[in-house]
Amino acid sequence: MATNYTQIGLTANVGSGGASSISFTSIPNTYTDLIVKVSTRWDSNSDGFSYIRFNSDSGSNYSYRVLYGDPQTSSSGSVSSSGTDKAVSGGSQWAAWTSSTFGNMEIYIPNYAGSTYKSFSGDGVGENNATQTYPVLSAGYWNSTSAITSITLLQASGAFVQYSTASLYGILKS
Amino acid sequence: MIANQVAGFLGIGAPPAPSFTSDYESIATVNVGAGSASTITFSSIPSTYKHLQVRLIGKDGRALNRDNMKMQFNSDTGANYAWHSASGDGSSASASGTAGDNFVSLYRISGNSSADNTFGAMIIDILDYANTSKYKTSRTLAGLDLNGSGEIYFQSGLWQNTSAISTITFTPGNTTNFLQYSHFALYGVK
Amino acid sequence: MATATYEAIATQTLVGSAATVTFSSIASTYTDLVLVASNGTTSGSVSTTLRVNGDSGSNYSTTSLEGNGSSATSQRQSNADKAYIVGFQAASYSSPYISIINFMNYANTSVYKTFLSRSSSNAASTYVNLWRSTSAITSIELTATGTNFSTGSTFTLYGIKAE
Repeated sequence: MATNYTQIGLTANVGSGGASSISFTSIPNTYTDLIVKVSTRWDSNSDGFSYIRFNSDSGSNYSYRVLYGDPQTSSSGSVSSSGTDKAVSGGSQWAAWTSSTFGNMEIYIPNYAGSTYKSFSGDGVGENNATQTYPVLSAGYWNSTSAITSITLLQASGAFVQYSTASLYGILKS
Repeated sequence: MIANQVAGFLGIGAPPAPSFTSDYESIATVNVGAGSASTITFSSIPSTYKHLQVRLIGKDGRALNRDNMKMQFNSDTGANYAWHSASGDGSSASASGTAGDNFVSLYRISGNSSADNTFGAMIIDILDYANTSKYKTSRTLAGLDLNGSGEIYFQSGLWQNTSAISTITFTPGNTTNFLQYSHFALYGVK
Repeated sequence: MATATYEAIATQTLVGSAATVTFSSIASTYTDLVLVASNGTTSGSVSTTLRVNGDSGSNYSTTSLEGNGSSATSQRQSNADKAYIVGFQAASYSSPYISIINFMNYANTSVYKTFLSRSSSNAASTYVNLWRSTSAITSIELTATGTNFSTGSTFTLYGIKAE
């Protein structure tokens, strides 16, 4: 049977000017699931999380639950929020951490084109040649039954730096 | 209509293979045989993919029921690695990390004292592995369940080198060998 | 016929609610299986378990790592008659939840079977399970424990084939 694990569109590559966000638009509804693979770095240090929005919706339509590790304190923790204007997708890569180092994150969005409310699973890490970093698992939710046609990756503040990349893949069911 | 289509196929030979596209491809596989293996190495990895994924089950000859595993790139054994994890052992959640290490330490595979047939499992993702403007970051989901005990890990690793990864070497955490039926598979994502 | 590395095997979308969803007659031609479930339940509780090959014996164990929004916890269960994938402790959650379950070396008849999964529900979670059998997995049954999967729930099984 036919099968697809296919990159959709071009990889987003952030140039020398940086980028406040990375977006994939005009996502076709012909796949079953979406996977976003993200390798990014910030120019700030204000938040341990990376974020995601769908269909340019910046209303209070997101919620999330997060599991994170804190190697500095040898502990793990969890936070949540609802009615937010974006959802946590994974961990982040701070500007203060080891240079030339970029985070590694994957976001899995099943049934993105269906008519049910949208949930996703994210896992993302930043790295650092020191003990401070935050591996993150995220359970996210977008309170909309619309098909996802665009995805925006962003931070709480600051911008993605040069060489940050993101790739979008479509998975097709039988 | 169907009969006409069948006749057409019979006229030209075997039906054409269905067309498909897949940007997820198998690159190489290692199955450890009866002779065991001191290391598992993927070499000559082409730079033509965008990302790599390793999927494995592993067991080594350490005289305990579990062991960590070392991951190194391009035969670099210098203190150029760091690694961090969030973990659960069935009773509590914790986290750990190390900087300036000689490998990325991955938790866990099973050791020789574990029940027969039990193996640890890992899925390792390395994004932008051939990007020469970046150090290399790995992300790993790993788990070992021995029925009487278990551990689950969500881990990260850093290799402080901008070279494209052309070799990945796995070694048991303590001087021993990988045991038979350990299975390592390398995949590339375009 | 060319063989894809990452291949969709089967999909089930519920028309009406159901207590269980089963994939059967799974071929042994792949290396790993990946099952993606995107579902809700009729009661609003979250607890998905699985069995393989119809085995209801005490041959499963589970270790979890979960963050429920207030704390990170880890739990275990040994010698159980099912493996837990989501909601080790059943909880209320009215939104769709997701499970991505990796069955590692599922057809390898020399090893017990280890499952690695992550899920998004009332908690961000990751699980490892063990099925103490060397048999190749030929069927997978998911159960909404104490409730039913709701209409529109989808379950897709993929195979990954190493060269």
